[in-house]
Amino acid sequence: MAAVLPLLPERHRAPPKPAVLWTLGMAAIASGAVTIVLAPLNEGLYQPALRVLLVIWTTLPFMFAGIVAWRRRPDSAFGPLLILAGFVHQLSVLQWTSQPLLNTVGQLCDLLVVAVWLNVFLAYPTGRLPGRTERAVVITAYVAAVGLQIVVLMLGGFDERHLLTVASQPTAAEAVQNLELLLLSALVLIGVVLLWRHWRLLPPWQRRRPTQIVINCFSLTLVMLAALLIAGAFELPGFEIIRLATFAIAGLAPLAFLAGLLDARLAKAGVGELLVQLRADPTPDLRELLAHALRDPTLSLIYWLPQYGSWSDQDGNSTSLPQPDSGRRVTVVRQNGSPVAALVYDAALGEEPELVEAVSAAAGIALENGRLEAELRARLQELQGSRSRVVEAQQNERRRLERNLHDGAQQRLVALALELGLLAEKANNDPATQRRLQRARSEVAESLGELRDIARGLHPAVVSGHGLTVALESLVAVAPLEVQLKTDGLPRLPEPLEVAAFYVVSESLTNAAKHAEPKHVAVDVRVIDNTLITEIIDDGIGGADSERGTGLRGLADRVEALNGRLRIWSTAGDGTRVRAEIPCG
Amino acid sequence: MRVAIAEDSVLLREGVAQLLTDADIEVTARCGTADELLARIVQDRPDAVVVDIRLPPTHTDEGMRAALTIRQQYPDVGVLVLSQYVEVGLAMQLLADSAEGVGYLLKDRVSEVKEFIAALRRVADGGSALDPTIVSTMLKRHRSSDPLDSLTPREREVLELMATGASNAGIAESMVITQRAAEKYVSTIFTKLGIPATGSESRRVLAALLFLRS
Repeated sequence: MAAVLPLLPERHRAPPKPAVLWTLGMAAIASGAVTIVLAPLNEGLYQPALRVLLVIWTTLPFMFAGIVAWRRRPDSAFGPLLILAGFVHQLSVLQWTSQPLLNTVGQLCDLLVVAVWLNVFLAYPTGRLPGRTERAVVITAYVAAVGLQIVVLMLGGFDERHLLTVASQPTAAEAVQNLELLLLSALVLIGVVLLWRHWRLLPPWQRRRPTQIVINCFSLTLVMLAALLIAGAFELPGFEIIRLATFAIAGLAPLAFLAGLLDARLAKAGVGELLVQLRADPTPDLRELLAHALRDPTLSLIYWLPQYGSWSDQDGNSTSLPQPDSGRRVTVVRQNGSPVAALVYDAALGEEPELVEAVSAAAGIALENGRLEAELRARLQELQGSRSRVVEAQQNERRRLERNLHDGAQQRLVALALELGLLAEKANNDPATQRRLQRARSEVAESLGELRDIARGLHPAVVSGHGLTVALESLVAVAPLEVQLKTDGLPRLPEPLEVAAFYVVSESLTNAAKHAEPKHVAVDVRVIDNTLITEIIDDGIGGADSERGTGLRGLADRVEALNGRLRIWSTAGDGTRVRAEIPCG
Repeated sequence: MRVAIAEDSVLLREGVAQLLTDADIEVTARCGTADELLARIVQDRPDAVVVDIRLPPTHTDEGMRAALTIRQQYPDVGVLVLSQYVEVGLAMQLLADSAEGVGYLLKDRVSEVKEFIAALRRVADGGSALDPTIVSTMLKRHRSSDPLDSLTPREREVLELMATGASNAGIAESMVITQRAAEKYVSTIFTKLGIPATGSESRRVLAALLFLRS
């Protein structure tokens, strides 16, 4: 594993300075006071006290929810948006004054409130508009709310106390204003559909009750708003009542949002449950528990292995942190300043950083244990790799030697024996020479025999050359035992597997013949589920143990080097069963 | 007799060619690879081929595959396979459905010139030649309630010779008995082992081998 420094998760934006938030809070209260002061200036106001109350009801909750959200979720633009919505609504109250400039600002902000609310609701919960449709709807709403409003004002709409009147065209002004109201009401209704779609597209684990309440609140507000706009356009009698009802409901939206924020706190109750579970089972499936506590089934847990300078999964496989734009978020858990583990979870969960932090803190010791375990597994894998390489290198070397013997010394000796044979033929009238040649020939024959045994011991060439089935048939034929061999339908397999299985059978038969005194041995070699299974069962005296001799230990090494497993059952008096399972890659 | 050789060791190839020439056998081709041998068979139509089991390029089973191809496509061409090791499994593969015109010997056997030439002639004539080590290995195999135990030592000796492909005359010569005595031994063995008696010498080789393997 390369010692590359890991990619650390994206930097979080710093929370706003307390002074900024305090100022905003004071401004909010001041603006509320302004509303109370301005209301009596406008004599035409319907139910002025109630109206003032509802304006405050629909502005201060937005502002304060925005301030709380901004402080706790500095990464999200949702807080600032809420604050903006509050102030825009507050500014629209200025239309109650006769002061031309203030009145102009108030008139301009009157319908801007609709666009800002639409923006806020559709940007829930990240503060960003999620899709192209949402962006188009919100931008159109802004253009309509400001652009068409300016046109209405220029045509002399809204009792001309403002600065924008160019020509007094009441009919045209009314027509444009109706267009504006209907267009906005249509956009608002589209917004309801978009909200509903947003909810439907959420993965199941994100469709939580608080989110549902917030979205329901937003939808209801938008429906009321649409009704209000339509009532305004057609000058329906219940307009003022609808206005009060709409404001009453709109004030609920930020409160629902605040409740959702609070729920992240409540969810910490899950942390207590986590702690209990950790105490009950000190070696749990930690990922499972954390996923449960954080209510994100896609959560994954990775560990930092300082020795390898790399992240690793629970099984010790090297891995890396997700890219910032992958839709996944990362929280690195540190102990004494150095990283221990990282939780990788759905970006939506990033809206609840406190919960993630609380959960990772609760899992602290267990995470440290998990890291040690992952490290152990990584080391085991490394060891396994090096053992495989050793066995492979050894096997290659043995194969090379066997080949050299075969192509070199053995061929030369055969050629020499042949030469001696030819000479003996030629010397048939010289018995003494013939005898000596005969002796030399049998010397060579003996050397050839010895060399053959050495070569065969180095590498079972027949396995690589002709396959396991042929090799086993030969092996069984020379075994001093009654062996029943089953290799039905066995395909050719990679050489290391065939050689390993060959040695398993060969060594087991040798052991059986030496120690077990069996009447009968069954050898069964087959491939099941992409695993080569080699089984040797005898009916001998049993009681074999794997420490007897180096044979079985060497076999286990050979099999395990191929990620396989060798098992031996041998109870005294009940025969011996050797079973090797080697994955076929 | 006309014989083609496939052997990648030049030393050995030339040695065998010399051996055959000395015995008045015409060497039609001296090949280094299996492909070359197969090409020359079409061209020369030899009576037999002598083929090394390990040939280039991989030195694993090229020679064996060539031998099986020749047995299948040119049944009238005798195939004598030579190898540094003899394996029962390969013998069974080579003799899968008939022991006619096939031989499988250790390479060392080339130094016993007379026996080697005799084996080659037998193979070229449609007979068989199996290395004695194969047969003796199979005879040594342990069986429970072994019918082989009912054979006398002399009968075992005859069985061994018979299984290597020796003719009645060959058996008689090796054991210094009359050919009639040899025939009698053979029929006794067949009765004792419960193998149906067959006329052809190569068929009885296969029958004996299948019995020994069972």
